[in-house]
Amino acid sequence: MKTIFYLLIVVNLSFGSVLDDYLSKLHKEVQSQNPTFEGFDFKRGEKIFTSVHKGKKGEMVSCVTCHNNDLKQNGKNTFTGKIIEPLSPKANQSRFTDIAKIEKWLKRNFNDVYVREGTALEKGDVITYIIGKE
Amino acid sequence: MRNLLLILTLTYFSYADSGNILGKTTQDVKPVDNQLYIQECASCHFGYQPGLLPQKSWKALMANLENHFGTDASLNQKDFDAINNYLTENSADKAKKYKRSNKIAKSTENITTPIISILEIPYIKKEHQGIPKKLIIQEDVKSLSNCISCHKTADKGYYGERHIIIPNFGKWED
Repeated sequence: MKTIFYLLIVVNLSFGSVLDDYLSKLHKEVQSQNPTFEGFDFKRGEKIFTSVHKGKKGEMVSCVTCHNNDLKQNGKNTFTGKIIEPLSPKANQSRFTDIAKIEKWLKRNFNDVYVREGTALEKGDVITYIIGKE
Repeated sequence: MRNLLLILTLTYFSYADSGNILGKTTQDVKPVDNQLYIQECASCHFGYQPGLLPQKSWKALMANLENHFGTDASLNQKDFDAINNYLTENSADKAKKYKRSNKIAKSTENITTPIISILEIPYIKKEHQGIPKKLIIQEDVKSLSNCISCHKTADKGYYGERHIIIPNFGKWED
């Protein structure tokens, strides 16, 4: 039991640091272009996540289309019907625990919705929204 | 005698469960047995078994993951190599001991331009003829590419008729 308890603490700590490391890396990247940059913004992130665009497939989509508006609930891939587990780390602890995975999905999904990759600013903002949304 | 029968029955079922009876495979295709493939590919769609396409198709499909049926499914080089190997080594033409892989391999052996979509394989196309469109485009199915919505045991490698239940319709018999 004790072991499980310590394991949970370690997992918890490592979750925080992976995401913190990634966000501070993005922060530095934005700051190098814009020295007066103050930090990532929930509201800007919300707009990125919820606004509708003509996606890679030619259909009008937003991140919400597949991930659901309630990030603590399952989503559903609108093209394949496959269930997507909750995006919010508040409901799904495995989210944002692996930098390679975070980068892979940001690249793929920005391409799917915006037909281009996201900038460091956009990535930081949208993550701030996803992890902060209640 | 009764004991012997019991032992035989148990043996049969324990083998049947592993999909292997007297060295003959019972599944239609070999079930997916690669964790990376499940993680990278089956997170967006049904985990299509490598034995559903011939090798030339997998090669062509993997060569254009940035535009994968209209979405970006790109991989890093290490994952790409591992998944590419898994798919090509277990492709339909290399898994002919599985009934449906064998049919798929035969159905595509004379086609030179690789077919990327499983639904375009002549054998698969033929098998899905005559299904009313409204049963396919309904929300619970969406498209023929959503195998498991009707083939309830597709993930275990069984696609036969007796395992088909079409949502809001029921059993399907030709």
